[in-house]
Formats: sequence, structure tokens, C-alpha cells
Amino acid sequence: MRKIQSTINASSAEFRRNFAHNKRLAAEFRERQEAARHSRPARDLARIAKQGKMRPRERIEKLIDPGTPFLELSSLAANMAYGGEAPSASCIAGIGIVAGKETMIRADDCTVKGGAWYPLTVKKIVRALDIALENRLPVIHLCDSAGGFLPLQAELFPDRQMAGRIFRNQSLLSKLGVQQLALVFGHCTAGGAYIPALSDYSVIVRGTGAVFLGGPPLVRAATGEEVSVEELGGAEMHTSVSGVCDYPAATEEEAISIGRDIVRLWREPNKIAGRREPAEAPAYDPEELYGILPDDIKRQFEMREIIARIVDGSRFHEYQPNYGATLVCGFANIWGFKVGILANNGVLFNDSSLKGAHFIELCNQNETPLLFLQNITGYMVGREYERRGITKDGAKMIMAQSCSRVPKFTVMCNGSFGAGNYGMCGRAYDGRLLFAWPNHQIGVMGGKQAANTLADVKLNQMKRGGEAVDRALVERVREETLAAYQEQLSAYYSTSELWDDGIIDPVDTRNALGVAISASLNAPLGEPGYGVFRF
Amino acid sequence: MTDPAVTALATPSRTKAPLFRKVMIANRGEIVCRIARTLRQLSIPSLAIFHDAEAGAAHTRVTDEAVEIQGETPVAAHLDARQIIVAAVKAGADAIHPGYGFLSENAAFARAVAEAGLTFIGPDADVIALMGDKISARAFAERHGAPVAPSAVSEGHIDAFIAAAAGIGFPLLIKAAAGGGGKGMKIVRSQEELADAARSAASEALRYFADGRIYAELYVERPRHIEVQVLGDGQGEAVHLFERECSVQRRFQKIIEEAPAPNLPRETRERMLDSAVRLTRAARYRNAGTIEFILAPDGRFFFLEMNTRLQVEHPVTEMITGVDLVRAQVEIAAGQGLPFRQSEIAPRGVAIECRICAEDPERDFLPEIGVVRYLAKPEAPYLRFENALDAHQKVTADFDSMLAKLVAHSETRDAAIGRSIAALRELVIVGVRTNTEYLARVLAHPAFRAGDLHTGFLAEHAQELKSIPPDERTRDHVLIAAALGLRDFREVAFGAPEPHATIGRWRN
Amino acid sequence: MALKLTLAGRTHLVEIVRRRPRLVLSIDGREHEIAAAGEGGDGRNSLEIGGDSLHFVRAQVGDSQLVHLKGRGYEVGWVDPQAEIADAGADHDEVKSPMPGRVVSVSRIAGDRVLRGETVATIESMKLQMSLPAPRDGRIAAILRAEGDAVEKDEAVARLEALSPGS
Repeated sequence: MRKIQSTINASSAEFRRNFAHNKRLAAEFRERQEAARHSRPARDLARIAKQGKMRPRERIEKLIDPGTPFLELSSLAANMAYGGEAPSASCIAGIGIVAGKETMIRADDCTVKGGAWYPLTVKKIVRALDIALENRLPVIHLCDSAGGFLPLQAELFPDRQMAGRIFRNQSLLSKLGVQQLALVFGHCTAGGAYIPALSDYSVIVRGTGAVFLGGPPLVRAATGEEVSVEELGGAEMHTSVSGVCDYPAATEEEAISIGRDIVRLWREPNKIAGRREPAEAPAYDPEELYGILPDDIKRQFEMREIIARIVDGSRFHEYQPNYGATLVCGFANIWGFKVGILANNGVLFNDSSLKGAHFIELCNQNETPLLFLQNITGYMVGREYERRGITKDGAKMIMAQSCSRVPKFTVMCNGSFGAGNYGMCGRAYDGRLLFAWPNHQIGVMGGKQAANTLADVKLNQMKRGGEAVDRALVERVREETLAAYQEQLSAYYSTSELWDDGIIDPVDTRNALGVAISASLNAPLGEPGYGVFRF
Repeated sequence: MTDPAVTALATPSRTKAPLFRKVMIANRGEIVCRIARTLRQLSIPSLAIFHDAEAGAAHTRVTDEAVEIQGETPVAAHLDARQIIVAAVKAGADAIHPGYGFLSENAAFARAVAEAGLTFIGPDADVIALMGDKISARAFAERHGAPVAPSAVSEGHIDAFIAAAAGIGFPLLIKAAAGGGGKGMKIVRSQEELADAARSAASEALRYFADGRIYAELYVERPRHIEVQVLGDGQGEAVHLFERECSVQRRFQKIIEEAPAPNLPRETRERMLDSAVRLTRAARYRNAGTIEFILAPDGRFFFLEMNTRLQVEHPVTEMITGVDLVRAQVEIAAGQGLPFRQSEIAPRGVAIECRICAEDPERDFLPEIGVVRYLAKPEAPYLRFENALDAHQKVTADFDSMLAKLVAHSETRDAAIGRSIAALRELVIVGVRTNTEYLARVLAHPAFRAGDLHTGFLAEHAQELKSIPPDERTRDHVLIAAALGLRDFREVAFGAPEPHATIGRWRN
Repeated sequence: MALKLTLAGRTHLVEIVRRRPRLVLSIDGREHEIAAAGEGGDGRNSLEIGGDSLHFVRAQVGDSQLVHLKGRGYEVGWVDPQAEIADAGADHDEVKSPMPGRVVSVSRIAGDRVLRGETVATIESMKLQMSLPAPRDGRIAAILRAEGDAVEKDEAVARLEALSPGS
């Protein structure tokens, strides 16, 4: 593998303009993240302190091994939903090291509406458990939730991917032999009660922890029975009478300590053997990513410069360097793990699509995880390309990618428009993890194209109806469409809806991928084989 | 580098046939090891005794044989004279060395040993009895020209005693006539305190020693405790082996002894040695003995008592004279007379003994118990580390708290102090709290270095002798050493997988 | 979780700051780089901290680490975050029969002081005798069943009370 020779001029006006722009985007992301993590009404915080409870992030910090990373997922989930009432979708999910083992940590956030589950909370929990399933990651649930947010129950309860999926996933995890531990710090009400019940181990804190299908008010309404929280589902009862929970703990600290002891007992992970080479920092400063990414989504940039700031030693073995040049393919190491990288350097043509499909096959053959670095406006359109079968070549890439048995990871480095999103392992393709940079935009087509398309449609309607062409109306359609589009195109909207596993600061990409790739090796590779390729 | 003081101890026996068939060492711990060493040099088989609680202890392994003795407690077993003599006879021993403590100054035991046809390696029972009673010993000393402190004895009514005691003047020391150690001792500084102190001393004496007689003497302020080592042949001939300074005491018990006594005017030393030899001769004393004196700052000294046995601190004398006192004891007991004439010995250099005790100097020297988890003994040609310690040994409250003695010799007192401190730092006993560091602090104290000693030395300098908390850096190092000793912590520190361990604490 | 250690009556926080390239520990916020971490376990050992090469002896006794360093001995205690569960019986005042059976003997009377684990009574059930230990240190407040009495599962045979301070 050769070191990529960077041609970036860090003192150029363009670089500096880009740098300022992207640095600002990163800062804005950090601000939003900070607010989502820590900005809470003083009243709620006071209540939690009074109960002697820790905040969920404190619990996580105490749970994980000191001096190890925690890869938080979807920190800005729900940031554009519910009027901002459910920061981070009122729960935390991430991959962390507990007693030396990689685990999925999932925590209710009792600082937001008592940890009530909003529809996006459920979506985030289900996603966290999907990740656990796909990567065979043991799960630690830090339970402290009042239950489903009743006003929105229709959006969180009944459907296939809604609340029931949480318990279905827990069951499947168990079937696969993936351990789960529940630390019950607060209430686990209604469906939430199944979380500790479906975990292999559970610890419950005396005084504050409680588990029940129906809380005291519901019991009173249903049967007229008067019963206290402690009696109905407290630590003493569940650890000595019902057997729903296993260990009582006097304090949250003690519960965490017992939890860590339990995780220590778990068998060592049986990771797929891949050669891991000694890690090496990139030869180029990742901070320069800010100056490479353009300040305008429309402007093309060199993906090899991005790769050079993510991979070990900036070393890259490029495959078919002279063929299908708009898709850069090649091998590199990230934190010592070998990966096959596909990165967009322009629109996908027939040759670049064929190259991509072939390279994906090589990675599957070689058991090398795939990393997609997206900046794609789509496959080439036009008579010439249709005649050459751009659709069937694009389909080959989708087929190869969809049927891959190796773990796949995607980073949305910039735009992700149209069918290019599919070939490059968009959300629908079950990549193990998908991250987006703050400058990322996503849509079936770009905002301007969409606005123009809709304005043209309006214009044609007018023309067909024989109306006088109202230019002002067409312009209004164009602007309204653009505005609506712009909001939905943004990375914040995308991450709010959990179309990704979180926005990350570009400079964090290497670490995020290191943790992600390492986690993915806990699951065995899928069955080899593809469907029918159209030649 | 070999010190002649030490090699002299190892010179082979001058007789060919062993002096005894087999010698029982009726004791335990370091002194058994010490005595057994000499017996081996003399080719005399040795026999140790042990209670079940001491099974396998070092002192039972250094002798040729060891027999178990029974007893409600280990101490009771070691005090069971009859049983011990029966065991000695049964095992074919023809002599018993009593060591120090236990039965070593028990006249009845000495008598019973003799009656059983065995040799008691020590003085006659009558001499033991004479010297064992403070009052008779004092009277004897007075009769034979040894200076004695003005005193009074409670022979009859307590009031008469109080009146007589008041006549001596204050301050006064009141103690049990039959007592030893510090039990029942009281210092009375005024007439008003006297009556109460006398009554309570009498009742304590009765309780501890079943003998309510008490005894008052002039109390010397800032006294030094100096003792003279003597050897007598039992025929009226005696020699001395110079003096020992034993002033450094806590709870009336010595912890540091040295020979010779520092800053002792030659003339005072001469008078003291002479006085001791005269007394020994007068008593027709046989075997090794020690005459203890109290030395006042003005140079006056008074007879205190005579110990009719080998002293704990005998090694300091051995190291400056090159004489093996145990061998001398055995030879004298075997009827060979004194091993040398007075003119044949001269002191050389300075020797210091530190008593390593299981105790907490920070808590009034209260005895400590525990299990020795790790043991590293200092070693050097100029050192004697007298001990019976084993790694994993239990230290219980069954016996005296003294674990070992560390004796260092050098040409000068400063050098001996330096060697002692270095050896104390080399000594590692982990698992039982000891006074090792305290002893090093005492030795390093300017007043000790200056030889400005008296029996209140430790109390006077208590504040400066307190342990100083370690500096922050050392404390951090200790905490790190401890943390890295915890298995769980090591697991967390070294068990993190890669790449996470390298990524470190990273939050996205 | 931070490790809590005690030394000379003070509690200190030991935290892992970094592991690579070398282990860095923080003691109450002061960072120390460990160049060589020695071996685990008891006995003679060595460490390299910062530029200092340390030779020491360590022994674990119960929850304490005895460390002998530079001629001085130290006792370092460990604060067990689960100390309270170790006293899980602490709020249990009753000596309960784990099986239905019959009281064979009662070894204590009301007012007796008992230590955790000491037998208070013995019951027989299914031809098997088992002793019922005191769940914690305390004083017997009442003996509730006499020899020969039948007991149900989880029935209290005796009740404990806390020792009053100073007793």
C-alpha cells in the first residue's frame, strides 16, 4: 500500500474558505449536541438529584471502563421532532467497553419527561437492538422510563418496527446467545417491564427501581387495589418474591459495580479472525478535512484526499486506478482493520458501476469489510447511457452490495442523491453503521432540481389548461418547494428521523469507524452468494 | 569483610568429647535458635520443646530434636516445669538451658532440674531465689558494698511503710517486691500522693504476684539504665564483660541496647564494673548473670537488681568482646570454670541491638498480631539478625511481642548507628505491623546520636519520633503500587481490547 | 469506575487516564505515567513511574494491600463499591427457616450478642438438619420458636436487634 500523495494547498484561499465554513458547521453540530445532551429544565434536574439518582450520562461514564471510547449513536435523534421536546429522542445508545468487552449500552433518559418513550425513542431503541443483533453485541439496558408517551401511542405501539420490536429483538438476541443485562435505576412500566424480564441478568436499585406492568394508579383504576410502588414492583419484592430481578443494590453505584462484575463473567467474544495490523495514525492531519470539503454542495472534491485523512498511515492500495475513475476503489487499514473502500469521485458511469460491483465481489471473496464514502448525485442519465445499460450496470452494483456477506459501513461525506444512494449502501441496505457529516444532504434529487422539476410541472399544467402563465405563481412554487426541500435535505432532518446512526464531526470519523469495525467482527459473516446479475 | 567479633563465636570447641550428652533448650523463638547454634558448634545434640500452637515453628527445626509439651495455653505449657523436666529425661537430655523469660529465673525449676539429676545451665536455685526477690537482693548488695538507693520495704503495716517511704524524700518509685518488668510500678512525686499510691501498688502486687509486699526507693530523674555482664564459676571467682546501655525503653521495657555505654566517664565505669564483680564473687555466683544499675546524671549509681540468666541483649556484649556467652554458660555448667581471665578480654568497637517487636508505636506500642506475608532479612558480616521468623508465620498474642533482634557492630558508634539504620530499612516484614521504622527514627534522632540517653528518652522525644506522613509523590507511588496489586484493577487497566485501548477516552 | 483507596485515613481516587502508549493513572487528579507496571500478586515487585524506578513488596490481606516501599510499610485499603451488598443481611432482622420442619435446638437466648454467621437455632427438615445462622451482627431480641416446635418455610425462628452504640 502506498501513501496517498496529497495535493492540497492549505494556504490557498479556497482551502481557508472551506475550512472556515466546515469548522462552523462542526461547531454548530457540537452546540446542538451539547444542548441535546445537557440542556434540561432545572426543575427536572433538581427532582432527579433529590431522588438520589444519577443522570443517564453519569451512569454510562461510571459503567464503562475508564480511559476507553464510547461511540454514541444518533445523539441528535428527534432534534427536529416534537418541537424539540425529546432531545436525543430521550434515550442514549452507544458502543462502549465494559469490563473489557464491547457492549451496546442503551439508556433511558429520565431527565426528559421521566424517560417516556416517544415514537422516535422506540425507533432509536429498536435500531440499537438491531445493531446489537447484526453485530452480536451484548446489551446493557439502563432502565429508567415512565413508559410510552401516551399522546403519541399510535405512532409508537402498533406497527411492525414499533415498541413490540424491542422485546422481539431482545428475544432474538438471547436466542443467538448474546447476553443482556438490565440495570433498573428507575421505573420500568408496562412494556418497559419486559426489558429486565427478557434480560439474562438484572440488578435493581432499592428505593428508586421498580418494575411492573401497571403502576399503582393503573392498578387502582383497574381493580381498586391500593398498593405502593415498593410493594408492587420494588427491589425487595422482585429479588426475593417474584424473581423478576436478580440482584438488589443499595445504590446506583453499587448496581453499576454488580453489573460490571456480571459482564466480567460473560464469555470472551468469539470474533471473526481477521488479521489486524498495528494501527498507525494518518500521515495527514484529519483537521484538513474541513478545508477539503467544499462550502458548496455542488462543488466536486477529491475523495482520495478524504481517504488520506481517515486511513492508517494515509496508505491506500487503489484498485483499477485508471478504470471507472468516478468511483475510487481500494484497500486500506483503519485502526489496523483491513477495509475495502468505495468512494465517489463523480457521477457513476457504466464503467465505474461495473468496477464497484467487481470490487465488492473481491471484498466478499477476501472477507474484507466494506466502507462506502458517499458523495453522489446519482448514476449518469441520458440516451447514450441508457442505451449502454446504465440501469443494468447500476443494478449489478446494487445486487453485489445488497448480497454482501461482509460488514458494510457508510459515511455520508457530502451529498447523497438518487439511486446512487442505493448502490453506495444507503440506509436501506443494512450497513452495520451509517454516519453523516454535518454538511451532508440527502434526497431523491437535489433541492434546486426538485424545485425546478415541480415548477416545470406547474408551468406545463398552466399551459395545458390554457391559462395565462403566471410567472409569479411558478416562482412561488419553486421557492416553497426549495424551502421545504432544503429542510428535509439537511443532515439534521436526516438524523432526527434516524436515517443514519448519527452525525459525526469529520475529524471523529476514524475513531467512529474503528469502534464500528471492531464491533462488527463479533458477528459471523453471512452466507456467501448473490442473486441473478443482469449482464 | 568479616568482623572478628562475629568469627570469634564460631571458633571450634576446645574439648574433644561433647560437654553434655544432649541439652534441652526449654524456651522458644529466637533464643532457641541462638543457643542451638552454639550447641551445634560444641557438637552437643539439642532438643527443643513446643506447644501444639507452635508446631513446625523455626525453633523446632533448628534443634536436632523437638518434643511437644501440652498445656491449656502455649505459655502455660512453657511454664510447666514438671512436664518439661519429664520430657527432658525421657528424651535422654542431661542438661537444660532455660534461655530467658519463662522458667529461667525460677528457683524451684532450677532445683527440680538438679533433683532430676540434670544440669541446669544457670546459677544455683538458692542464688536465683536470693536475687529473684528485690528486697533480699538489695540487702545482699548493700552488705557487699554495692551502692543502693535509699529505700523502704513494707514488711508490716502499710502505714509504717508510708512513713518510712516519706523519709527517703521525693520523688519515689514504688514497686512490687516480687515483681519484674513494669507491673505495679508507680512514681510518687509528693507526700499527698503517697498513701494512695502505696495502697494501690500493694493491691496490684498481690494481684499480679500473689505477694502484697511493696518496696519504695529514691526515684532518680533522667536515670540511665546500665548493666554489667558477668560470669561466675560458682566457686567465688568472677569476671565481667563490660557494660551495656539499656536506657531506651518504652513501657519499662528495653527496645534498644548497646555496648559499651556512650558518654560514661571511665571512673564511673570502673566503679560499676568493680562493684558488679564483687557482688558476683560474694554470691559465689555460677554462670552468666547481669547486674543492673541506675545511673543518675550526677554520676551516682545504685544497684537495681541482678538477672540470673542470659539476657535478651547479650549479643551486643558478644560482639564487642568476641566471647560466645552461651558457650561460656555451657562450659561453666559442665564444670570447666571460667573461660578466660579478666585481663584476657578487651572491648572492641560498638554494638547496637534493636528489638523488632510486633507493635504499633503510633498507638502506645500496643501489641499487633497478623500473619507474616513477606519477609526479607537483612544480611551482612557485621550483622546478627537473631530471629525465628518464617514467611507465613502467624504472630499471635500468645507470646511476647518481640519478633527478632537486629544487632549491628562497627568500630565507632556513628558507624554502628548507620549500619543499624540501613539494616532496619533492609528488613521487610509485611503482614504484621512492627516498630522497625520507629527504631530507625530513634537511632537517627540527634539526641540518640549524641548519646544523650535516659530511660525517659522515648517519652521526652515522643513528638519528634512520630512518623511523618509520606510526601505526596511517595503516597501516590504507594497508591499506584496498591492499585496495580488489585486483580480487578489490573484487569481493567490491561484488559481493554484494541483498538479501544489505543483510542482511549474518546467521545463523539 | 474510579477506584477508591484509603491510606492513613484518607480516601484517594485512582483513575485510568490512558493506556497507550503507556498506562497513565491519575491519583486525585495528579497524573502519573507507568512505564513498567510490574507483576500482579504478592511479593517483591517493581514499578517504573515517571522517571522513578521503585522496588517494593506488596501483600494482599483481606481488602487491604500492604505495601513496603523505601523502608516504610503502608496499609492501603480498598473501598468496595459493593460493600453494601456484602451486608445484604444488614436490614434483615429475622432468622428464618428456609424449609418447613421442626426446631431441633435453640442455641441462643434473648439478649445474647451474636455475630453474623453464628448459629442461632437448628432445624430438621426432610431428615436433614440445618443450622440457622444470624444474618448479621446484633443481639437476639426474641426467640420466637422453641425446641420441638414446627416451623413453616420462611417462618422466623428468632429476631435480631441492632446493638446499641457503645455496647
